[in-house]
Amino acid sequence: MSKATIIPFGPQHPVLPEPLHLDLVVEDETVVEAIPQIGFVHRGLEKLVETRDYNQFIYVAERICGICAFGHSLGYAETVEALMGVEVPKRAEYLRVIWHEISRIHSHLLWLGLAADAFGFESLFMHCWRLRERVLDIFEKTTGGRVILSVVSVGGVNRDIDSTQMDEILHILDGIEDDYRQIMQVMLTDASVKNRTVGVGHISYEDAVSLCMVGPFARASNVAYDVRMFGHGGYGELSDFRPLCATEGDCYARVKVRCEEVLQSIAIVKEMAAKIPAGDIAVPVKGSPAAGAESANILEQPRGECYYYARGNGTKYLDRMRMRTPTSQNLAGMVSVLEGCDLADVNMIILTIDPCISCTER
Amino acid sequence: MFTSEFMPLALENVASEAAQRKSDGWRFVQLLAVADNTGSGDRDNAVDLVYSYMKDGRLENLVVKNVAVGEDEAKVDTVPSITDQYLSAFVFENEAHDLFGVHIANIAIDFAGHFYQVPVREPMTIISPEQKEAHERAAKMAAAKAAKEKAAAAGKTSGADAENAAKPAPKSDADIEAKLAGLPPEKAAKIRAAMEAKAAKEKAAQKGEAGNE
Amino acid sequence: MSEFGLGRMTFGSIFKKPETVLYPFEKKPAPAGLKGHIVIDVNQCILCGICQRTCPCDAITVDKPNRSWEINRFQCVQCGSCIRACPKKCLSMDPAYTSPAPHMHTDSFSVPDPKKEA
Repeated sequence: MSKATIIPFGPQHPVLPEPLHLDLVVEDETVVEAIPQIGFVHRGLEKLVETRDYNQFIYVAERICGICAFGHSLGYAETVEALMGVEVPKRAEYLRVIWHEISRIHSHLLWLGLAADAFGFESLFMHCWRLRERVLDIFEKTTGGRVILSVVSVGGVNRDIDSTQMDEILHILDGIEDDYRQIMQVMLTDASVKNRTVGVGHISYEDAVSLCMVGPFARASNVAYDVRMFGHGGYGELSDFRPLCATEGDCYARVKVRCEEVLQSIAIVKEMAAKIPAGDIAVPVKGSPAAGAESANILEQPRGECYYYARGNGTKYLDRMRMRTPTSQNLAGMVSVLEGCDLADVNMIILTIDPCISCTER
Repeated sequence: MFTSEFMPLALENVASEAAQRKSDGWRFVQLLAVADNTGSGDRDNAVDLVYSYMKDGRLENLVVKNVAVGEDEAKVDTVPSITDQYLSAFVFENEAHDLFGVHIANIAIDFAGHFYQVPVREPMTIISPEQKEAHERAAKMAAAKAAKEKAAAAGKTSGADAENAAKPAPKSDADIEAKLAGLPPEKAAKIRAAMEAKAAKEKAAQKGEAGNE
Repeated sequence: MSEFGLGRMTFGSIFKKPETVLYPFEKKPAPAGLKGHIVIDVNQCILCGICQRTCPCDAITVDKPNRSWEINRFQCVQCGSCIRACPKKCLSMDPAYTSPAPHMHTDSFSVPDPKKEA
């Protein structure tokens, strides 16, 4: 038996897109224990809710993370609407779903690119990000921003998508889908991808359930859980929604689940665009949340289930706003999956979990 | 559609509840802390803990009220860790300790206060001046509302004669005070000044009239 | 065969127009609704100060006695809440971005007094 060595990994590391630090206890080339450490980018955004009123905080909420920006503003708005009993117009719900699904496509394409970069497939990375650029162009045309969209408000949305813009979105998505199918083919069948992912970082269904994992990380281990299946908000209008799962539970399964979710999101956008009703896009919201009123809400972010909690105090300022992001829920899973893996696979495993540390710390 | 419910939980049942939920197949969603600085709690320096569990579209939030926190070892409540049941809770328990000062015993992966690198201790329990003002205003508004209702009820009982009931009630000072309580202080001060000026003007006008006569 | 999947795509892009533009010489046309910077129609403004109160980042200062409306371009996050809150609809979003500058500065506009002019 060889001597245990501790290798510090991160927070700055060529393959890590996020400031996550790990103390890897290794014996030879095998990791025996991984201790995660976060806290490098804690900004205290939850505290800021006390000095910004509930309408202003939406712009803070979407700055929590650059990738799930739309999701955070949506989740926050839904929570405050639940707190105040606001009924959102149907058209606004549809628009929210359309933007949320487009941002899921953007997030997954970004992630696929990063994963390709991590296993050294540069041209695949370039192609993924080339497609992502077109998704950002959709955002730019419909909302006026590329990353920070600022379209959600408490009570609805700020901008409408008219029918010509909607046709343009569908046209761009058709173009993306053609190219994307080729990329997906490479992602799922190429030998250089499979060599790095198949059988690496396996986590069983039982472990996934007992570690309370969420998002694509859990679905790759066949946990059929996706918040969208409850049909909350505009998702209730979908004709059919089933969470996409894989049974293998390894890195390859996680790549596969995310790859397929992009196509699913494109299908959802198309369906919603075809069915969108006419009408108002926002209702005026008056008054302030009652003192001591509490509400909790969950939402499927690109990375998994995100939990929101708000408590009012009778004024237009909230007492507490809380976001529990998918990554903080998956950290325990990450620690257990890293135990026993090869040192060279650590970056691949961390990437397939898709950690978003700035979301986690807020 | 998922449903979200809030229900109370006693501090001593935290661990047994977690074990029970685990064996029933509930998924641990999250643990959060809320600094209870509304002044409604019977202890100062207390936080509420919310444990959320989910199963089949039912999101249950169990609220542990008034958990004493702080540096005084004798006064604080010690919360049992649920990481023996749900390992994924270690993130939230460390967070509650670092940001709110909740004492949690036997966390599976315990960072002992070094989970978040924060410059001040327990930053989330500090009451910001804005929040204090908001609370005071909310309390004032509630008190003024109660006073108004009381006055209205008193008016009803005493105003038995028809003449009194038919006449619209004059805008009492209490009414105006109730409205002022809801406004930001600088604005309220402005309105008060305007009202005083108006009163002075009226007085002067009356004096003038009297002089003319 | 699948090995050539990406190769075909990469090879095909030789004959296509490049996806990128030569930035400093060539600029992407800005779409109509792009959030660039806030412009104010000073003739419409009544200096009510609602924009100042709705701004989440305290970028706008309204000085009623001196009849001036100021915006700190580098503090503004282009959320557009002032545009939606304005009762006279005198604020609007222009697609041109604020150009970078070595120092943060505020843009000040003086609002003409309609009573004086009349």
